[in-house]
Amino acid sequence: MKLKLFILVSIGIGVGLMLSLATYYGLHKTSDQKFCVICHEMDPMVIAYREDVHGGAGKLGASAKCVDCHLPHDNILKYIYTKARNGVVEGSIHLFGDPSKIDWIEKRAHRESFVFDDGCLECHGNLLSTQTSSKQAQKMHEHYQSLKGTDKEIHCASCHSDAGHKGMRNILNYYTPEFEIMKEHMKQKKSEIQDKYQHYGIQKEK
Amino acid sequence: MKQRAQNTFVVLCLSLCFTLLPLTLFAGEGSSSPAIKGRETVTITQELKEKYPLKRVHAKLSLECLFCHDGQGNNPEAFKAVRDKTCLECHDSKEKLANRLGFIGKANPHNSIHDGTRLSCDECHYEHKESMNMCAECHEKEIATNMWMRKTP
Repeated sequence: MKLKLFILVSIGIGVGLMLSLATYYGLHKTSDQKFCVICHEMDPMVIAYREDVHGGAGKLGASAKCVDCHLPHDNILKYIYTKARNGVVEGSIHLFGDPSKIDWIEKRAHRESFVFDDGCLECHGNLLSTQTSSKQAQKMHEHYQSLKGTDKEIHCASCHSDAGHKGMRNILNYYTPEFEIMKEHMKQKKSEIQDKYQHYGIQKEK
Repeated sequence: MKQRAQNTFVVLCLSLCFTLLPLTLFAGEGSSSPAIKGRETVTITQELKEKYPLKRVHAKLSLECLFCHDGQGNNPEAFKAVRDKTCLECHDSKEKLANRLGFIGKANPHNSIHDGTRLSCDECHYEHKESMNMCAECHEKEIATNMWMRKTP
């Protein structure tokens, strides 16, 4: 009887560990720009990310992954749920919708809904209490904290509009020009930037 | 025996003090606001909001009068217009602002072939009233039809 129980528990632990490992690898392998750029509507975002210090453009090459900023980090279940939901929603838009119709430049106005403060603070852990940042930064971060929990709450991305994707508006313009007058020039710029980042899986258009 | 109990009691009290002391210091640090302490304050009333409305983006951030009008007292009626330096405390540098609109190229209002990055912010941008597009003084047609710029924020 005892032996049976022992075998059952061992199998349970084994299966549990295998499932955890599979989940871990699944989450890990679908978390960086290599995975996200599979859908080519993400090309301008990946290019702008690569231009930014968050995308490894700094001297030491340190970089954050897409999910580090674009998923909630306060709760592991919320993290997995949001990741799964985004996967299904975005995957179906890619396959069955028309991503070319999306106005990405306009979407930037809603950045607070897809950049998570707890993600920023995972890395910038001491930011809100540090005395070594500039006086202005300290003043504004204090303002951020004083509004937290009120109906006027602001977020990291409210002010840091370009963080993570340097020159996002420029690169989005290369792909879908805001102004008619620049169409030809933007085409040329797009071609240049696609050449530069082709080795990151950016698709070269004909 | 009694002596020993007394000693234990003293040691316990001392260790309690040493544990609590840093805690009280820590709590004090969290609740005070050193940046604002001892400064002038302005209460933003509905009347003030109507008289000196903020730009949409700045209003969304609930910016306060003294964030910009720092060191100008606490009477909004007596506040003076701020210089570029104040704007650039948050907006960094004119070069950086120019790069954000880099796709516009030679016609970039923040780095134009006429003025480079030398223009003052308030040639076009006003905080408490509608901004003005200086380029439109000559390039009337292109601005009116939104050919290369949107409304000046």
